[in-house]
Amino acid sequence: MTGVRLQADVLVVGSGAGGAPTAALAAEGGHDVVVLEEGPMVRQGEVVPFSLAQMDRQYRAGGVTPALGLPTITYTEGCCAGGGTEINSGLYRRPPEEVLARWGLDGDDVAELYAICDEVEKELSVQTVPGAQIPGSELLRRGAAALGWQHDESPRWMDYSAGPDARQGRRRSMTETYLPRATAAGARLLTGHRVDRLILDGRRAVRAELSTADGQRGTIDFRDVFVCGGAIQTPAMLQRSGLRRAIGRSLAVHPTVKLTARFTDAVNVPDDVPVHQVKEFAPDLSFGGSASNPGLVALALSDSWGRFGEAVTDWRRMAVYYAAITSQGRGRVLALPGLRDPLVTYRLTRRDKELLGQGLARLALLLLEAGATAVYPAYRGAPIVRTPADLATLRATFSAGRASVMTVHLCSTVPFGAGHDAPADTLGLLRATTNVRVNDASLLPDAPGVNPQASVMAVAIRNVRRYLESVR
Amino acid sequence: MTPAAPSTSRVRPPDTTIVTGAGGWLGRALLDHLSNERSVRALVTTAADAAAIGTPAEVSANGVTAIVGDVRRPDGLAELFDGATGEVDVIHAAGVIHPGRVDEFEEVNARGTANVMAAALAHGARRVVHVSSNSPFGTNTDRLDTFRNDEPYHPYAGYGRSKMRAELAVHDAVRGGLNAVIVRPPWFYGPFQPPRQTTFFKLVRTGRFPVIGDGRQRRSMVYVGNLVQGVLAAELTATAPGRAWWIADAEPYEVAEIVATVGRALVAEGFDVAPNRVRLPAIAARLAERADLALQRTGRYVQQLHVLGEMGTTIACDISVARDELGYDPQVALEEGMRRSIRWCLDQGLEL
Repeated sequence: MTGVRLQADVLVVGSGAGGAPTAALAAEGGHDVVVLEEGPMVRQGEVVPFSLAQMDRQYRAGGVTPALGLPTITYTEGCCAGGGTEINSGLYRRPPEEVLARWGLDGDDVAELYAICDEVEKELSVQTVPGAQIPGSELLRRGAAALGWQHDESPRWMDYSAGPDARQGRRRSMTETYLPRATAAGARLLTGHRVDRLILDGRRAVRAELSTADGQRGTIDFRDVFVCGGAIQTPAMLQRSGLRRAIGRSLAVHPTVKLTARFTDAVNVPDDVPVHQVKEFAPDLSFGGSASNPGLVALALSDSWGRFGEAVTDWRRMAVYYAAITSQGRGRVLALPGLRDPLVTYRLTRRDKELLGQGLARLALLLLEAGATAVYPAYRGAPIVRTPADLATLRATFSAGRASVMTVHLCSTVPFGAGHDAPADTLGLLRATTNVRVNDASLLPDAPGVNPQASVMAVAIRNVRRYLESVR
Repeated sequence: MTPAAPSTSRVRPPDTTIVTGAGGWLGRALLDHLSNERSVRALVTTAADAAAIGTPAEVSANGVTAIVGDVRRPDGLAELFDGATGEVDVIHAAGVIHPGRVDEFEEVNARGTANVMAAALAHGARRVVHVSSNSPFGTNTDRLDTFRNDEPYHPYAGYGRSKMRAELAVHDAVRGGLNAVIVRPPWFYGPFQPPRQTTFFKLVRTGRFPVIGDGRQRRSMVYVGNLVQGVLAAELTATAPGRAWWIADAEPYEVAEIVATVGRALVAEGFDVAPNRVRLPAIAARLAERADLALQRTGRYVQQLHVLGEMGTTIACDISVARDELGYDPQVALEEGMRRSIRWCLDQGLEL
């Protein structure tokens, strides 16, 4: 085989919320680090946030990938330098204590993770909006307040030095923070480089085979490897490397359903998302605002386009909202020979499906309270909801099988755990190997019920620090 | 900043209080509370009901005048309202829960409520309290979920649909200028219970009450005396028209706990109680629910199927808004309420 030949002390596969801090800390610790990122480098400001152009350049498969199952659940993954942090809403929630307890983390672990959260929050400038909110966020707050439902503003990793309003923030994503730190400390970041598989010598991984965006093949030799490709690509790559035991079998997600609310005033902001979230029914059920550019408004109306389509011309008065659940179902990721992308399946339980319907109805009630004149739920055959009586029609006609169920927050395909049935130990080392570590959302034992980026970063930073202590 | 909730201020009772459904379980409990205190005009469906409330038809006693009429016919309410003098409040407690035919749900609960609201509006009533139910909201999706004060409608079967339409009729009347509010009690218990309810005690006493699954599903219940307090608080507390509140005991109970508590109450009242031994798998309740819904589509109603179908589910509600806005504060909980209920049955000569 000809082409690229590389060598490193530490190989980091992927450059998102797990890979970027892993690379920065390892490079700053004096190790020779190479980061291989499948997607391109796109600087902030080059594309409009939440736009179709962004979907083309920074998302895997143009933005939408289906997970098979009934119903089909679509999901999105970042595929660019910085990974999901370049395209997500930038909302930040520490993992709740009860979630850490469920993950088997005790007093000292919890204190350590929260100390890391303090650090991350400083590095990423995590804060609430100092100035004006966008209207879609304010309406969500108003509806929740009218019903007496608990709600708050999610902090975000944003820099407001250009001005205090929500739309003046600059995202402190990985390409603005940990990736520059990594390269400043000598790490080499190679975009357009996909790792196809690891080559093992017994229980030790020694080399990775890679392919580049311009069609070359190559290899990289390394001492240790951190796999940080996200909850879909990480297990798929490990499976292609022959590491299959308990890997990719426990995908956890937060399934969501959407609706579009129409108001009497102009409320639409095409390039930002609401920061208020309704936590009254958390962790089972959470509500928030989605990106609402005209294309996404059209998408949210598309399930009943025949009746809802006319509304899209009024997109300036419309905003899209979601209801997310913590699911009792689980999914699988399976790499298939000869296919570039893995097969992903996910099964909702009966309770999950019921909860999606109840969540959508409660969200619709909230938006009527907020002053919406019409609510368009995203499932086939949905009624246009204008009155409380229409909410009964919504519940009676909703079925998850007719809904556009989608998800972000993919987790748990290589869960850590103290028990030997967990594929990774509590620091992310794959039990079947001596030097393959997983350090991304795949590691989280289940979906945390909140935006998971803080959990991913805190766990990843803790793990890489323990690694650095062990090889010092 | 939200100001601290003002302590609830009560208005004085009206000159005349109209009570519909006065021969029913709640109606009789209300009259027991209001007689000798207020001037009440009580609507009953038959002369026998009038006798049962201790007031022969068209005769006043203890301040109560019984009037035989029917909420299903607008003219059936004329006498009830025409004789009411001064300031008038209306407590609309008439409804049918276990009908002979499914049609009665719509006729009595939905149309009857619209008729009562129209009459109250025409008569210039001061305040109207409509007694609704949990049924317009169905069941909780998860046994840990609790209904908040405001929830989307999701009616359960024919009864739930009719009680939802009744609420919608109340809201229509409010838009037309009526000062009406809604209370939503779940499953009641306590004195004045209809004879069919003795089955409940018999099943528990003989150890044959069907507990579905592990019995951990939660149910809100309301002691009828607590409900009377809640209804009167809704009547006499000045609030915006159109408000609605859950009126229930302080906390929901688990089904297994309900059966155990009723058993203890029976023992405390001198009964021998056999250990409960009927555990049905969750599927039994699901099948009963399906059979009930299928029969209801054909217009038939079988009480046992309906009740069994509901036993597997959680119906739990949160009364905190009623506490805040009405000063509602339920005093009686399950064991004491059941003991009172048992004693009442024995006093009536009912066999448990």
